[in-house]
Amino acid sequence: MSTVTTTGRDLQRPTRRGRRRMTPGRLALYVVLVLAAAIPLFPLYWLVIASLKGPQEFGRIPPTWFPMDPSFEAFSRVFEVVPFGQSFLNSALITGVCSVSVLITSVLAGYVFAKYQFRGRDALFWAVIGTMFLPPIVTLVPLYHLVSSMGLSDTYAGVMLPWLVNAFGIFLMRQFIADVPDELIDAARIDGAGELRILTRIVLPLLRPAVVTLLVFTVVYYWNNFLWPLSILQSEDKYPIVLTLSRLLSYSTSVQYQNVVMAGALIASLPTLAVFLLAQRVFVQGIARTGVK
Amino acid sequence: MTVMLESPGRGTIRARGVPPTARRGTAVKRHRLAAVGFLSPALVLILVFIAVPMVMTFWISLHRWSMFTPITDMDWVGLDNYRAVVTGSTHLAALRNTVVYVALSAAITIPLAVLLALLLYVPRLRGRGLVRVILFATYVVPTVAIVIVWSNLYAPSYGPIDATLSALGVTSPGWLSNPSSALISLVIFNVWQMLGYYVVLLVAGLTQIPEEVYEAARIDGAGPIRQTVSITIPLLRNTLVFVFLMTVVNSIQVFDPVYLLTQGGPANSTNVLSFDIQRTAFQNGLAGEASALAFSLLILLCLVAAVVSKGLRRRT
Repeated sequence: MSTVTTTGRDLQRPTRRGRRRMTPGRLALYVVLVLAAAIPLFPLYWLVIASLKGPQEFGRIPPTWFPMDPSFEAFSRVFEVVPFGQSFLNSALITGVCSVSVLITSVLAGYVFAKYQFRGRDALFWAVIGTMFLPPIVTLVPLYHLVSSMGLSDTYAGVMLPWLVNAFGIFLMRQFIADVPDELIDAARIDGAGELRILTRIVLPLLRPAVVTLLVFTVVYYWNNFLWPLSILQSEDKYPIVLTLSRLLSYSTSVQYQNVVMAGALIASLPTLAVFLLAQRVFVQGIARTGVK
Repeated sequence: MTVMLESPGRGTIRARGVPPTARRGTAVKRHRLAAVGFLSPALVLILVFIAVPMVMTFWISLHRWSMFTPITDMDWVGLDNYRAVVTGSTHLAALRNTVVYVALSAAITIPLAVLLALLLYVPRLRGRGLVRVILFATYVVPTVAIVIVWSNLYAPSYGPIDATLSALGVTSPGWLSNPSSALISLVIFNVWQMLGYYVVLLVAGLTQIPEEVYEAARIDGAGPIRQTVSITIPLLRNTLVFVFLMTVVNSIQVFDPVYLLTQGGPANSTNVLSFDIQRTAFQNGLAGEASALAFSLLILLCLVAAVVSKGLRRRT
């Protein structure tokens, strides 16, 4: 049996080491690969060029596939049409507070679920993870009632309060912390280190990929969250960017504003795109880890 | 869902059992205190903002209540709200549309994602890392922004899709303005947005399959297609189940594009459950009926999960 395996490996080797020539099959794979990139990219390309077009060019039939006279005028006008700057700051505040809170609660809970033993631990863990699959729309009505009866309707606190914890974050952290060697933690305990100290000084430094993954995930999730702010907020000055953008969308019926709407959509997408692109290597691997095992 | 996790980690602390020395005993007590302290922020928040509202959804669904009056004014109506769900034509349309939307999304997304993941897993294919990033990028863009672009792409006459179609001599199906194509237009939008996320999950699943299995198959003379069908797909099963469940969970709650683009129309053709719930509660002030709809959505989700887990058990 072992000889067969060896022969098999030897047969494999020449093709592995040698440079592959461009066979028709490989060429076809590259064509598919280019298509696989072009289809997700095209709407993003369209977003960019549409925001650079002038109102006249926008209404042309058939549309131009490249702006004839690119102008950044729409990008400044969007701040005049709607309170875009204020909304941007609102989104930054909501996203920042929720992300930090999710990070802290997830690391703390993930550590307990990964490294402590107590009766009912696994049942409790699965109950928490189960909420990951609960669509927020299911609890929208009681949540609205709950937050309103706390007097927090139409406040920043009301927007943020239900989202300070996230089951996915706990799951992610538990997965990563389980891989931290027990010996490391035991050694610190023998040295007399307290649990919080062990967590912040020994475990947390090893969790960099997990922290980056979770932060990218929460920034994307809370920046884009639409349903809850729509339900709980009334004052436009507290609107996050996605709500202001939806108000801006109503302007697209007028040909004068279509490039402005596009510019708004582009600006609102930049923070999440930037965060993702900066951290993409770590993030894609981290997200991947939640789906296997 | 158990399939996704390794068996729970070996803990280092035994909170139970007799401690060997008195010193160990105080250590255990200290650990127990730490465990309670570390867990309580997450658990209290989940209890107050997820568990309690979930029970309340069911309770409210048995009452007549406008959300804008005190909750003490609720009138008990038993299962009347559920009767309204299964007899009201709007609600029935929402149920039907949601099932169609979820089924179509899964049926298009999963095969496409598997093919793309296999493509991105072909060794020594240049640029596959870049393509993976591009595919995933659509997932991080706010849905509202994507809605804005796609409403332009789908636009009659001045939109690029219709322009291309008319250049090719094909009549536009009318996309979002036609009752028979509006829902599928939203499915295409959904597939475009979410595909990259599932591709990343599937590529991760592919990397878990040991290389030796493929080598053994090659020795037995299996070609690439045979290897994919007999090795890759069966060994990818756990990831496939996870991806399927995530597709269902994500698409069953579609709200943003419906609210922003179609408001459930034309002719109720894109009225889905989550949109119907929001409208019934916040615009029509029928919180009981909305909660019955919400609970129906949850039941639908549980049914899918039950069927999947039963199918899994039979095969193992």
